[in-house]
Amino acid sequence: MQGTTVLSSASSAQESPAARVLRRFWSNPIAVGSFVLILFFALTAGITVLLSLTGHDWPYNPNLTNLELKLLPPSSQHWMGTDNLGRDVFSRMLHGASISLTVGLVAVAVSLGIGMVIGAIAGYFGGITDQILMRAVDALLCFPTFFLILTVVALLGPSLLNIVVVIGLVSWTGTARLVRSEFLTLRESEYVKSARVLGQGAFHIITRHILPNAAAPILVTAVLGIPDAILQEAGLSFLGFGVQPPQATWGNIIADGKTYLLDAWWLNLFPGLAIFIASLSFYLAGDALREAAESKS
Amino acid sequence: MISFVIRRLVLSVVLLFIISIISFFIVTLTPGSPYPWGELNPKISPEVKANFRKKFHLDRPLHEQYGLIMRDLFSGNLRSIKDDRPVMSRILERLPATVALNLTSIVISLSFGTLLGVFAARYAGTWKDGAGSFIAFLFIALPGFWITYVVVVALVKGFGVPILGTHSYGIEFPNALASGLDTLWHLLLPATILALGGIASQSRYIRASMIESLREDYIRTARSKGLYEDVILLKHALRNSVRPIIAGIGMVLPALIGGAVVIETIFAYPGMGRLGYEAVLERDYPTLVALNFVVAALVLLGNLVSDLLSAAVDPRVRLE
Amino acid sequence: MRSIRLFLYGIPAALILLLAMAFLNASFLSVAKKNEMSVGTLGEPSTLNPIQQADSASAQVAGLMFNGLLKYNQDLDVVGDLATAWQLSQETTFQFGTGEEAAKARYLLDNKRVAGNWPITNIQTEGSNLIITLSQPGLTDSENIANTLTESGLHPLPSPPLDKGGKERSFKAEPIIHFNLRKDVRWHDGAPFTSADVAFTYHAIMDERVASPSSSDFELVSSLETPGPYSVVVRYKKPFSPALLSWMQSILPAHLLGKVEPAKWPEIYNRHPVGTGPFKFERWKTNEFIRLVKNPDYFRGSPWLDSIVFRVLPDPLTLQLAFQTKQVDFWAVEPWAVSSVEKDPRFDLFSSAGGMYNYIGWNLQRPMFQDVRLRKALAEAVNVPQMIKYIIYGRGVQSTGIFTPKMWFFNPKVRPLPYDPKAAAALLDEAGWKVGSDGIRVKNGTRLSFTLLANNGNEIRKDIATLVQDDLKKIGVEVKVEIYEWSVLLKRFVSKGEFDAIVLGWGLGNGFDQYGIWHSSQTHPEELNFIHYNNPKADHLLTDLRQEYNRAEIIRLAGDLQQTIYADQPYLFLFVPEGTSVMWKSSYRIRRPGPKSGEWIDSPVRMTKAGWDYDMEWFYRPEYAPNIPATTTIR
Repeated sequence: MQGTTVLSSASSAQESPAARVLRRFWSNPIAVGSFVLILFFALTAGITVLLSLTGHDWPYNPNLTNLELKLLPPSSQHWMGTDNLGRDVFSRMLHGASISLTVGLVAVAVSLGIGMVIGAIAGYFGGITDQILMRAVDALLCFPTFFLILTVVALLGPSLLNIVVVIGLVSWTGTARLVRSEFLTLRESEYVKSARVLGQGAFHIITRHILPNAAAPILVTAVLGIPDAILQEAGLSFLGFGVQPPQATWGNIIADGKTYLLDAWWLNLFPGLAIFIASLSFYLAGDALREAAESKS
Repeated sequence: MISFVIRRLVLSVVLLFIISIISFFIVTLTPGSPYPWGELNPKISPEVKANFRKKFHLDRPLHEQYGLIMRDLFSGNLRSIKDDRPVMSRILERLPATVALNLTSIVISLSFGTLLGVFAARYAGTWKDGAGSFIAFLFIALPGFWITYVVVVALVKGFGVPILGTHSYGIEFPNALASGLDTLWHLLLPATILALGGIASQSRYIRASMIESLREDYIRTARSKGLYEDVILLKHALRNSVRPIIAGIGMVLPALIGGAVVIETIFAYPGMGRLGYEAVLERDYPTLVALNFVVAALVLLGNLVSDLLSAAVDPRVRLE
Repeated sequence: MRSIRLFLYGIPAALILLLAMAFLNASFLSVAKKNEMSVGTLGEPSTLNPIQQADSASAQVAGLMFNGLLKYNQDLDVVGDLATAWQLSQETTFQFGTGEEAAKARYLLDNKRVAGNWPITNIQTEGSNLIITLSQPGLTDSENIANTLTESGLHPLPSPPLDKGGKERSFKAEPIIHFNLRKDVRWHDGAPFTSADVAFTYHAIMDERVASPSSSDFELVSSLETPGPYSVVVRYKKPFSPALLSWMQSILPAHLLGKVEPAKWPEIYNRHPVGTGPFKFERWKTNEFIRLVKNPDYFRGSPWLDSIVFRVLPDPLTLQLAFQTKQVDFWAVEPWAVSSVEKDPRFDLFSSAGGMYNYIGWNLQRPMFQDVRLRKALAEAVNVPQMIKYIIYGRGVQSTGIFTPKMWFFNPKVRPLPYDPKAAAALLDEAGWKVGSDGIRVKNGTRLSFTLLANNGNEIRKDIATLVQDDLKKIGVEVKVEIYEWSVLLKRFVSKGEFDAIVLGWGLGNGFDQYGIWHSSQTHPEELNFIHYNNPKADHLLTDLRQEYNRAEIIRLAGDLQQTIYADQPYLFLFVPEGTSVMWKSSYRIRRPGPKSGEWIDSPVRMTKAGWDYDMEWFYRPEYAPNIPATTTIR
């Protein structure tokens, strides 16, 4: 972006930061497109779950096995074909969407929670606290995350909750670093300094003054973290450490279909494509959000 | 400066041991036994198992086991439970292939990433930039295992080219060139797939920092002097962006020996990733402890080197 | 400035160029293959020392480099390998109170031996002991002799029982095997093979520093002697019929390992061993391949192939890919791919009856599973024929118990339980399990619900678990499926006996001894009777089988054992899958020595009882035809 615009619309004179970000976001066609896609995924996932809770399965029950219909290619009855136990892949994909999105959201929530707390403390208090916490972050990076996941899954059982928590536990370092650097900068700002002089408590200052200003980058990290979590879960399922059968996730449809790859391409293409498009949408949306938050107009 | 280095080294060593202890306990806590034979093997009697346990100190309490493993590690006697060979040999024999793969992958990401990033920065704000970003995110969002399979299946079904391992088998190569190209092929293919994510993040990074530089005053001065856009772009803006990359070189050390399990498994490429993965599945504690230790040491060392290089390259950075 | 541009554009361009060139090179690689066989293996061998290995990958490679005293021929008969001949005999010893009694007994037996039709070759006394040498081992004859002695008023002192809790006997029975060894065998380093190597191998196996998995096979050996450089005499503590098969064990070189302590073996031997077999070791590149080259001085003649390479391909899909791109010559076909491969004219297919069976093990310590009616009902509610049809594509048969059809002692009269959900439901009703309000059966407040475990990484077992879950739901049984990693499954659940039901399989050899799996004493942690099966009749049959040498008797006892266990349904016996392997058509043929010396039979690779890869040492590639002409050719 070269130079600054000379004209600015009169109505933007007293825009709140949030409104400004939103405006810029909506004016970006890619951002809008990806947002629509995300909405689409969320809605399909939500509707599918609601339908199945009330006992209706559309188009089929994802766990209904029918050996006579094994490994059929896509057709008008089975839009995405059937898997090795005769289950309809399309239905499994729909249910998998809800799992993948849940994993993304909850894992990010966990990692955000931990990351924000640690980053805030390190960034606000600085000094020794900061050094120790940052070394701890470094240490975590050295950890064999694969063991952690394996151990947790082995000890506590491979339930969806455990997997999500573990993914959250190993991904908070990025958020922590980001929050810390934001806090380090914002700590030196005028109103924080004056708040301090006025004797306001740390907690108060952090939540009332610093956090709202750091909100944008944190939100961006969150959005960008969702596809990471989805990809992690898919990778875990792929290696065999994911959710239990008969539960369908995009990752384990690919994992189950891996053996038949050369002959049953639909077991790999559709879930892979879905993971890819979902991740892409989140990345593009997150990136557009970041641009909207950072740009100077 | 010296005191900084010494302080950091001491801190790192302490940290190294803490990490090593914690990861040892995590690994041994995981249920499962390191017997090299199948557990439900009718031929193994309890005496054989007891002997095995004694041999690898598995009958001692955990803290003793850790101590013994560390002692063996530093005296060079640490043996793997899987095949009773020195752990260091196992790690070292995988090292060349891994380093080759990672180095190639880094070269690919840096070169293509920079190119893409410069391109995007040059045309920032236009559709070309948007396309560049799109491609970058495309690469990041591709699930590694999926795209690997797609590529592999396409190559095998479409062209029938051998793709596994480090070179093709059972073939009489007509000359050294053919043999060299064959090895190169087996190296480039997995390296390229590994590099995809790196290309994307590198290009995003270069683009962002170049755009940042392009806004600086001295650029405007250069422009007003009438210098060609190209020169401005490459000589000035890019150079500034390169500084942090140099600082990032420190982190190359751990990256060089890291491993990508899925790609190595699919390509049957003998790398460190598979070593670690298999060691976990086999509960090969000595190998795991040694691997962790080496990786952690390299990460900490890499961090130190990064910080030092940052300070050397950028006068604004101060070492605390 | 120039240089920046050069780097910026030049490096990517160079990389693309290299990639293109490499790709072209790879696709035009001449398919001029070397005279080398490529075999793909999923697991990497852990050691090439045959007495320390326990995984099949190691055994496959070592099998081509070593010989045992005995081996199977293509019809699964026991024939000599390093041994040219062997004789079984037995020394039965009666201990008497006094020397005179012993002498009287001897006199008696000398007179009676012909009438009694006993296979006695020698009778002598040593102090108050009467030692009888029989030409065949076993207990029947000795018991008859004992009876004759007591009937005649002579009472030998009681001997300790042969097994814990077994009945007391009045004699000691020690089988003896006498081997005559080949004189023309040399180790790969040129040293001659002698009986000292056999003695060394035995002692090494029993040495606890070696931690050999084979030690349990030789526990009952009381002594091993080498009266000459080509003769070995092994004496056992009591009749143990599987003993003969244990001599298929590969023999190690005493001259290389005899004076070296076992701790040093991994460095100096295990990764580059020396054997007597048709192929010798060349190179092992860890995690990539192991190459063997031919042994031109092999005692049966030099193999035709120059070398064999075992490629480590850890992923089943990559194995398939390697086969498709001719990087490996054989592929063990998964059942679902068999039908498409069968019809493909590019391949030759070999199918054999399986040596393993899949089952669901019920934890018999759980009260729920202690009622045989429940176990039988569950078995009848699971549609095994459908599983066979759809999971293994018809490539297999329903299992009727602990033995598989290819074994010579298999009992074909055992009928498999039919798929009959109605009968199953009726049986459950009868056993007191009535359908509850949620569709799940209840008895005395307990719901008929349990957890079925399986290990990850095995598609077939996962499919089985899912199908069983479905089938049982239809008759009101709730099954929860949990998949764990293999080590975790064993350590956390199986070894501790803390599970309800588990999907597993047994890979069996060709022997009938399943004592370890079914005897009621084998229930300690890490032992194999983890379901805690306890049937005194089965216990007796198991111990009797171990002491029986007579072929007809073995068939009778084994048949009875199979029937007994099947009726008890301690497992839900599922199916015995077939094994199928595929090879690019006519890429190999066999030229093997015939029964008469100088005879060479040329034939295509074919299926035998011992597998399609029997005679692998005689495989050759048609483009590298052997220099010895065939005397008989089979097209």
